[in-house]
Amino acid sequence: MKRVFIGFLGVVAVIFIGFFVIAWRPSIAPAPLPAANSFSPVLVAKGAVLAGAGYCAVCHTASGGQPYAGGYALATPFGVIYSLNITPDPQTGIGNWSEAAFARAMHAGVARDGSYLFPAFPYDHFTKINDDDIQALYAYLMTLPPVNAPAKADTLPFPFNIRYLQAGWQLLFFHGGRYQPDTTKSAAWNRGAYLAESLSHCGGCHTPRNAFGAEEAGHEYAGALIDGWYAPPLTAANPAPVPWTRAELFTYLRTGASDVHGTAAGSMSPVVHTGLAKLPDADIQAIATYFSDIDGAATRAVNTGTALANAITASAQSGQPGADPDAHLYENACASCHYNSATPPPAVRPDLALNTALWLPDPTNFIRVVLNGISLQDGMQGVMMPGFANSMSDDQIARLAAYLRRTRTNLTPWPDLQAKVAAIRAQGPEASQ
Amino acid sequence: MTSFHLNGQAVSVDIPDDTPLLWVIRDDIGLTGTKFGCGIGMCGACTVHVDGRAQRSCITPVGAVEGAAITTIEGLSPNGQHPLQTAWVEAQAPQCGYCQSGQIMQAATLLLDFPSPSAEDITAVMHGNLCRCMAYIRIRKAILLAAPQLRGSEPT
Amino acid sequence: MNKIVDSQRAAASPFSRRRFLIVSAGTSALFGFMRPGFAATDVPTPKMFEPTIWYSIDANGAVTVSITKAEMGQHVGTALARIVADELEADWSKVQLDYVDTDPKWGPMVTGGSWSVWSSFLPLSQAGAAGRMALIEAGARLMNVNKAACSAQGGAVVCGLRVISYGQIITQSNLNRVYTADELKQMPVKQPADRHLIGYEAAAIDIPSKTNGTARYGIDAQIDGMVYARPKIPPTRNGSKVISVDDSAAKSIKGYLGNKVLDDPSNTVPGWVMVFADSYPAAIRAADAVNVVWSAGDTANVSEQDILDHGTALIADKTGGVLVVDDAGIDVAFSNAKSTLEQTYTTSSVLHFQMEPLNALALEKDGVFEIHCGNQWQSLILPVLATALGVGEDKIVMRTYLLGGGFGRRLNGDYIVPAALATQAVGKPVKMVCTRADDARFDSFRSPSVQTLRMAFGEDGKATAMTHDATAGWPTQVMAPAFMAKGVNDALYDPFAISGANHWYNVGAQRVRAISNDLANHAFRPGWLRSVGPGWTNWAVESFMDEAAHKAGVDPVVFRLRMLDGTGRNAGSAPYAVGGALRQANVLKLAAEKAGWGNSMPENTGLGVATTFGQERDMPTWVACVARVSVDRQTGLVRLEKLTLVVDAGTIVHPDGALAQVQGGALWGVSMALYEGTEFTAGEVADTNLGTYTPLRMGDVPEMDIEFIESTEAPTGLGEPATTVVAPAIANAIFAATGTRLRHLPMRPQDVLQASAKLNA
Repeated sequence: MKRVFIGFLGVVAVIFIGFFVIAWRPSIAPAPLPAANSFSPVLVAKGAVLAGAGYCAVCHTASGGQPYAGGYALATPFGVIYSLNITPDPQTGIGNWSEAAFARAMHAGVARDGSYLFPAFPYDHFTKINDDDIQALYAYLMTLPPVNAPAKADTLPFPFNIRYLQAGWQLLFFHGGRYQPDTTKSAAWNRGAYLAESLSHCGGCHTPRNAFGAEEAGHEYAGALIDGWYAPPLTAANPAPVPWTRAELFTYLRTGASDVHGTAAGSMSPVVHTGLAKLPDADIQAIATYFSDIDGAATRAVNTGTALANAITASAQSGQPGADPDAHLYENACASCHYNSATPPPAVRPDLALNTALWLPDPTNFIRVVLNGISLQDGMQGVMMPGFANSMSDDQIARLAAYLRRTRTNLTPWPDLQAKVAAIRAQGPEASQ
Repeated sequence: MTSFHLNGQAVSVDIPDDTPLLWVIRDDIGLTGTKFGCGIGMCGACTVHVDGRAQRSCITPVGAVEGAAITTIEGLSPNGQHPLQTAWVEAQAPQCGYCQSGQIMQAATLLLDFPSPSAEDITAVMHGNLCRCMAYIRIRKAILLAAPQLRGSEPT
Repeated sequence: MNKIVDSQRAAASPFSRRRFLIVSAGTSALFGFMRPGFAATDVPTPKMFEPTIWYSIDANGAVTVSITKAEMGQHVGTALARIVADELEADWSKVQLDYVDTDPKWGPMVTGGSWSVWSSFLPLSQAGAAGRMALIEAGARLMNVNKAACSAQGGAVVCGLRVISYGQIITQSNLNRVYTADELKQMPVKQPADRHLIGYEAAAIDIPSKTNGTARYGIDAQIDGMVYARPKIPPTRNGSKVISVDDSAAKSIKGYLGNKVLDDPSNTVPGWVMVFADSYPAAIRAADAVNVVWSAGDTANVSEQDILDHGTALIADKTGGVLVVDDAGIDVAFSNAKSTLEQTYTTSSVLHFQMEPLNALALEKDGVFEIHCGNQWQSLILPVLATALGVGEDKIVMRTYLLGGGFGRRLNGDYIVPAALATQAVGKPVKMVCTRADDARFDSFRSPSVQTLRMAFGEDGKATAMTHDATAGWPTQVMAPAFMAKGVNDALYDPFAISGANHWYNVGAQRVRAISNDLANHAFRPGWLRSVGPGWTNWAVESFMDEAAHKAGVDPVVFRLRMLDGTGRNAGSAPYAVGGALRQANVLKLAAEKAGWGNSMPENTGLGVATTFGQERDMPTWVACVARVSVDRQTGLVRLEKLTLVVDAGTIVHPDGALAQVQGGALWGVSMALYEGTEFTAGEVADTNLGTYTPLRMGDVPEMDIEFIESTEAPTGLGEPATTVVAPAIANAIFAATGTRLRHLPMRPQDVLQASAKLNA
């Protein structure tokens, strides 16, 4: 018996050592900070656009903090992870990272010192970035003003805080390698796919994740709850009554709003307004080309006219007295801005029958916007919606949600609305950031 | 510190961000034409324009209007002769008058979005503005009087 | 503390002015960053003619009419000034209004009961006539002509081709003639045919300021050094006591200054705690954070149903109440009747919900308390304030502002008391503003009511006797006992809570019994709300008349007309009720005719009629209304398609203003019939804001056809009469459309469904 046990320990030790050997990554020697003039201005400018398209600043800037100096809190199901300082500060940032070290971090999720990065850093997407773009990103980051900002301690509990174990995660879920073009598709499609899959890591939000926090294989872009918002499906499963055509996608990604889908709220707003903003129209068109193919817009476009007509018919009810007390609540509090009588409805009067939020399987987006509103800077810039958190009870917001779902869609009612409103209200307005 | 434009003038206020814009306009800046009615965005008496669109200032935090252009009833026209204002007088619309600043500001957005509004358009958009004197017949009439004036003065 | 950092600070406090003034023309409005205000009149022009207290004329001929009535939407200033200016032969373009502050010289200051034009018409006409006489005399003297050859017109005295303006007369002479009250009473006034302002259209003087943000309401008052206050309102209106106040959570709120438990010798606001802050939003938050423990009064568990049940019990007790009408032969008539009908009608609590939440700014300056707010009954609250503050009434002055809605709420000035006590306690100007929810919880709302009516029928379905027992909270008993009336047995009753039951129908022997619902009076402070008692008594009378007509098998219009025969006590009398019930019959006939009474209607559509005399027998405004409704039997939704109203209010002074009052009054009737109504629950009203309280909005407005009877009879009231006819007309129309009789207000879709389910069962 004792011998068996010793034998078992031996096997464990071998596995452990084996794992250690396989998982071990060497440190890459510190390198002196390259002189700013060692990078061509063209390369730096290209890197700036790419850094935008990768939303680097969104996650690497703390609320009210210096750009790229890290400290942004990512609330994961495992605990809070604070993003790292990626300014070229030698002590606290990446000032002593060589380009090779940077490329390894982007492509393989390993820091200069050989430690594993948590997959909250989307290297599962960045691995697809081509080397030219990596070079440009490096040039851009290394020419930023350095900021001395030490890393904040994560709140991950044991064992999630053991970076070494990330090797196991990589073994299971990480598939490295650059983007491979699909030769059956157009250049624009491939450009869009490249941006979406690699740098812009759209799947980071729009693909559901498994229990280990990895994007579920086979459910790419199927829609997911993330950061307190529901990122809608980008596939043919997208429930919006008007299909997301290339033109609609382009308008939305360029301006933050679509007449027939709604506005970019929550974490999608910085994607549009600070992330993709610097990409040229051609790149936005490329992304639109890619997703309008994935969502099968071409085969669904025939429904648009009906959807618009239904929306206006539903909206016109707001101009008629009725017996439904929920309708009265809507008419008194919402219709001043949301009523429409002509198609297409203007984007400044978002038509709720067409709004994606009402058609999603989860009411989170609808509830969050009613509670906290949409700021002037978010969504369609210069148009705001006030929050009704202090105006309406949980019951009233639940009734509004149920009423609109009932009268504006042909979908099944959302369950447990009142509890959902209470839960989202309890998170407060900051939870949506 | 929040900075915005109010009736064309630059304003900076050092007031907690979550203070409703209504009270900043009324009590701190001293323009009292914008009224407090319900405090929950359901009577419309506090309606002002934020970047040209009607908003309920009682539920708009001042921090949310950073950089925006705010227009109140006092700034709708330089001399109180906006077509809606003259129509309001012509129709003898106000009774107690308390809701009317908000009604006029809401009507301005109505006519921007619906330059030739149907009765249903007027009802649906103006339904959110309560008039406790129930001067609705005249408010509706005044909007219809003003619509062609506004269409004339702003090419569509 | 200067929160504005780099913008132009608005102009200085407006309190350098003594009075607030609205002018009809010639004043440049101030815009943008200039603080809105009115032309100051601190420095009177040296020459001024002031023959009575009611107006003055300056050397430029500008006539300033003193308005002692609250301006709350009725354009009363315009109507009253037109009365003065017509007799004075003033130039209307030079007439301005001065909404005066309180002063004993004005006599009783009250704006309610739709009395303003009715009660002011003769005195203001005589005052105007007096000035005209004096000016003609002085003008004739200046022109050196015989005054008999002179007349006045357009603000000038005319003699043949010679003209001298009032301004010139005042400049060139020392006109200081002042008329005594007795002289004024003897002053003859014009014949109706000679009028050229009264009855003619005019733009209301107060309207332009209400379209550009310059109109100033009580809530707009500001004074340097003031602190803001928001009350903590106790759980019961009466009998609450503060046990403890814990403000530890409030201390972290920026701007919180402290709190004060009010000690109120007038017992107007027992159990109130005032929370102070340096801004109103801070006061709102701080009051939310201050935790007060009260011992509630003994009505903390009283419900709407308790009040209604108590009313039912009071009616069942035949010994209580006050007999207002008590004809001989009632009991005989009922015992001899061929048939009888008895029905009970009820109404729910109704909130005032005036748009401007209750507020008052109070300060003490040189031993005098100044009150800045809108108010409808200054004479009622001044003695209460004197008691509360422990000072003489002469040490209190109420500054006048526009009212963001009155509807009777501001007849009860109770909301001034806490502001006054607070300024006395903290030694600083205090501006108290209620949030909307505070306002609703502190409302003197319309009491629930219970009424039982009986009719005895003789041959041919003719009424031979009628009784009407009505019970509700009595505002006048609670707040203004001096205004109680004496019943036939010398007991006192609230005339405003029963008026309407003493109708102008000849029904044979009649008995009207008014019963105070003491539980209501104790559980809350019942208020006067637009049309007061006639808002519920006529609901019962006119619903019952319809039921009686159907029982008698007679057309409801014909049934009523037979009884509006203008005989006996219903013949009417001068000066205000000339013609009596025949004038009511007239408006009824005309309304029925205009509305197509008797025409066949589409399915589930019906016409209903109601007629009233407005509010009081000694100031009858004759009103008839036909409502056309269609009812959706699936949802119970009542769609009010059209209201036809005919009104005889005698002389109409300001026709467009009169129309506005009837429009608004009728729509209030619609609102209370179909959309309003709250419920008293555990000592408080259940609905405190618009999420659940749903007054009529634009989409609910029916088509309206309103006609006034042309008349030169004495003018009566217009603010409320139209409110009284609408609910019963709608109920009667619902009956006509569906056969379903509703006897409770409001009538909600579920009530229609339940009643029709009962009918079909």
